[in-house]
Order: sequence, then structure tokens, then C-alpha cells
Amino acid sequence: MSRVQSTSGPASAPGPVDALARRGRVTGRAARLRTPLLAAAGLAAGTLVVALRDPHTAGSYGVCPFLLLTGMPCAACGGLRATYDLAHGDVAGAWDMNPLWVLAVPVLAALWLRWTWRRWRGLPPPPGADRRSMRAAVAAGVLLVGFTVVRNLPGLAPWLAP
Amino acid sequence: MSTPNDPLDPNAGGQPGPASSGSGTPQPGSPQPGPSEQGSPQYGPPQSGTPYPSAPQYPQYPSGQYGASPYGQPYGQPYGYPKNSVGVWALVLGILSVTFCGCLSGIPAIIVGYASRRAAAAGEANNGGMGTAGVVLGWISVALTVLSLVWLFLLGGWAWYMETLESSTRV
Repeated sequence: MSRVQSTSGPASAPGPVDALARRGRVTGRAARLRTPLLAAAGLAAGTLVVALRDPHTAGSYGVCPFLLLTGMPCAACGGLRATYDLAHGDVAGAWDMNPLWVLAVPVLAALWLRWTWRRWRGLPPPPGADRRSMRAAVAAGVLLVGFTVVRNLPGLAPWLAP
Repeated sequence: MSTPNDPLDPNAGGQPGPASSGSGTPQPGSPQPGPSEQGSPQYGPPQSGTPYPSAPQYPQYPSGQYGASPYGQPYGQPYGYPKNSVGVWALVLGILSVTFCGCLSGIPAIIVGYASRRAAAAGEANNGGMGTAGVVLGWISVALTVLSLVWLFLLGGWAWYMETLESSTRV
């Protein structure tokens, strides 16, 4: 029904853009790109702060309650230091701090590029996007918990713990 | 496909159909629907003027029946609830927040959890309970973070921490 209405509706735009616009989500390219650009600006600002204030200095960003309470590094441990190292071009140093984060950064960058590209073109969510997002959520949770366990195993801690 | 004389066709006798329903709209005793009542089920179709798609009937359909067939779904969504992943994300973020990430993922869990509940209320998801769980877990993690901050800065934990820095306790 809605498909029929969209083709016979306001004569201008082709299907996908028209469908998005009718739902009140977007009105133009600037409005569509606002969210990804804001996200990128926030991440860039955070990265700049970390790059200027060295997290290798103990206590420079406070303390981690989890590390303080348990004495174990969690999956995110070393993330700020790895970000600092990456921002200064030291991939090997970043890998020593948090290899999972080093691997995640290009994946997240690619996802952001695809997101921004689809927003630029005004494309609707592709079929099955919700199901893939569900699987990604479960995979992310399993990956983070699993990495926390693995990097605390005595045999692997020299390579995976910061 | 159906002939105009088909008795099961609601548009049978197509020409007079919309006009007659439009003229018969005002019930004798009831007040005319104002702008606030435009969404009421009785008065929707004649105002919109479309003959049969009957907008007022179909929002009630997916909210009442879980697993309903995707009739009238928005563009490009082949199955019923296009925002169920939001609830899954809220639950994952909430679990991570109480296990180790604290309010770093607890605050996103609260935000995403409320978005999931909104989606469930709008009929776009059927797992609002996951969103609620994410909200609760997120608030628990925020409370734990606040407690740890109180311990650090009001109960002397910071001084104790600075003494034990040798054991590589850094962010």
C-alpha cells in the first residue's frame, strides 16, 4: 500500500528518498549528514584531547574502577594509550596497549564511511539491516567479554594485556 | 482483478462509494471532529479522501498481534519489526556496563534503551523488555560509578591508589 502511495505521491523524488522524507526523517542532504558529521567531530575532538594529554602518564585521566577493584585489565584497558599511540603514528606501540582496539579502528572507520555514503545518497536502510545489527550487537558483546577473559589468561597476558 | 459487481469487493460500485461515505460521515449527535480528533478511527477515512487503504485500521494491527504479516510495512522492510536490534544493543551495552565498562557504556545503554522502548511503543519493535533491561542495567552502572567516585575522592581511595601505582594500574 505504502509503495503504491509513494509512487503516486508528491511527484518529485525517486522511491528511497521519497520514502525517507515521508517518514519525516530527513529533508535534505545537510539534515541527513548532520548525525554522522557530529559523530565524527566528537570523535575527532576526543582523539585530539587524548593526543595532546598523554595517557601513558599514570592517573592523567583518573583511574579505572574495574582495574582498581579487580586488578585485571578489561577489554578496553589500554584503549586511551593505544589511541594516543595511533594518533602519533606508532602502530606497534598501540598494538602492545590494546590489539583489539587497533583492529577495531579500521572496521569502525569503514562502517562510518558506509553510513555517511548512504546518508549522502539518501538511501534507506538496506533489507536485513536490523538483523545484521542484532548479530553485530551480540558479536560485540561476546568479543569484548571474550577478549577480557583471554587477555587475563596467564599464557596470553604478555601479548594481550597492556 | 475483481469485477465491479463482486459482492465481496468493498469498492463495489466504485463511483458512488467514496462520495456516499463522505456524505454519511457526520453522526447526528456527535460533534464534528476537531483537529485533535483527526486520528480517531471513525473519522479518518473520509477526511483523507482515499477510497480504501483505510489508514485508521492498520496501526492497530501490528501493535496487537505479534508476528503479524508485514502488511503495510514502510518501504524496504521485509519483516515485521524493523527496530528490534535497538533493544539488543541496549541489552548488550547494559551487560557490558555492569560487568566492566561502567557508565562509559551505561549512559549509552540508557539512551539506546529508551529509544528501544519508544520503538516498541510505536509498534516498530516487539522487544521493549530488552530496552527496559538496558535502561535498568545502565542506571545500576551509573550508580556504581558514582559510588566509586565517592570512594575515590571522599573516602581516601585516591591516596591509596596513588600509593599502589607501581602495579600498572592505569587507564
